Amino acid sequence: MHVYEVFIKKDGRDEFRHVGALEAATDELALVLAREGYLRRAEGDRLWVVRRDHVIVADDGFVSPNADKPHRHHDGAAVAAHRKAARQGRQ
Amino acid sequence: MSEPDGVREFLLAFADDEHLMGQQHTEWIGVAPFLEEDLAFSSIGQDELGHAALLYELVLERDGIEPTDTAVDALAYGRPSTDYRCCHLVEHTTQDWAEALVRHWIYDTFEEMRWQLVADSSLPKLASVAGKALREEAFHRRHADALLDKLLASPEARERIAVALEAVTPLVSGLCESVAGEAEALSQGLASASTASLLTPLEQAIDERFSRPGTQPSSAVVSEDHSDRAGGSTEGQRARTSRSADFEPLLARMREVLDYDVEAVW
Repeated sequence: MHVYEVFIKKDGRDEFRHVGALEAATDELALVLAREGYLRRAEGDRLWVVRRDHVIVADDGFVSPNADKPHRHHDGAAVAAHRKAARQGRQ
Repeated sequence: MSEPDGVREFLLAFADDEHLMGQQHTEWIGVAPFLEEDLAFSSIGQDELGHAALLYELVLERDGIEPTDTAVDALAYGRPSTDYRCCHLVEHTTQDWAEALVRHWIYDTFEEMRWQLVADSSLPKLASVAGKALREEAFHRRHADALLDKLLASPEARERIAVALEAVTPLVSGLCESVAGEAEALSQGLASASTASLLTPLEQAIDERFSRPGTQPSSAVVSEDHSDRAGGSTEGQRARTSRSADFEPLLARMREVLDYDVEAVW
């Protein structure tokens, strides 16, 4: 058995969304089980299933440095907050 | 005694088969071999119950009764057992998953053929229901095939499926038994061929499915006596008027909640 991640979307709107996961013995079974398990009330028109061990996962530390780069935020709010904090630090 | 209304008998047999098959499938909720299958199998059962409700509405219209939910319920649950027209295959009650799966494949294969018989029915509403049902049946078959493809590749599962097939195949001829008055209904264009005419193609499909490389063809499939094969047979299950021992307990389970308060409005 493999774990498959399930993604669905409504035709013509929204993006694919992750809705859950299931266990299945084959790709075909993953599709039919996802169809009955996640789409039986017409929750979406399109379906992806992806084997979890086929998802390429970044290390924990790979993305985190980008959390501290306020100069990359376009609206200025983060930069303003950063400068305000710096000003207050000088007073 | 005059010949029964073959159109009504045909619709009722179809509806009763769908109703009981749907009920049997949904009874696997919570106890199927794994969670995903538990959901999928009972969801497929709900599709069959939906078909049954639409077919019961057609029976009621034929009776000149407005097909309200209450009237459909009364027809579906409230008849004496002698007025049901289901076959013994759908009455068969089993705790064995292999039997449930084999029956699922056989029943849905038959059901697809049966809907095709009425896809161009002279009864327009029946043809319309057939169009909807055929779109669903393709997925039911795909579900059963996906499971069988995987399981038949495993020696242990193959052995269990072979045993299940021996138990289920004797009930196949009854599934294809025509109702009384069916010839008259066919002459009115209700269906393109008799229910009995589906027996040979169904047996061929069963043989092909279960004798693929690595599986043993079931002797029960090829050796069964089909002397009643001629359309409109009244042998065997007596044109679907006989009930098996499993029927009464099954009807009691189906009526269990309803019987608390038959007047309740849901």
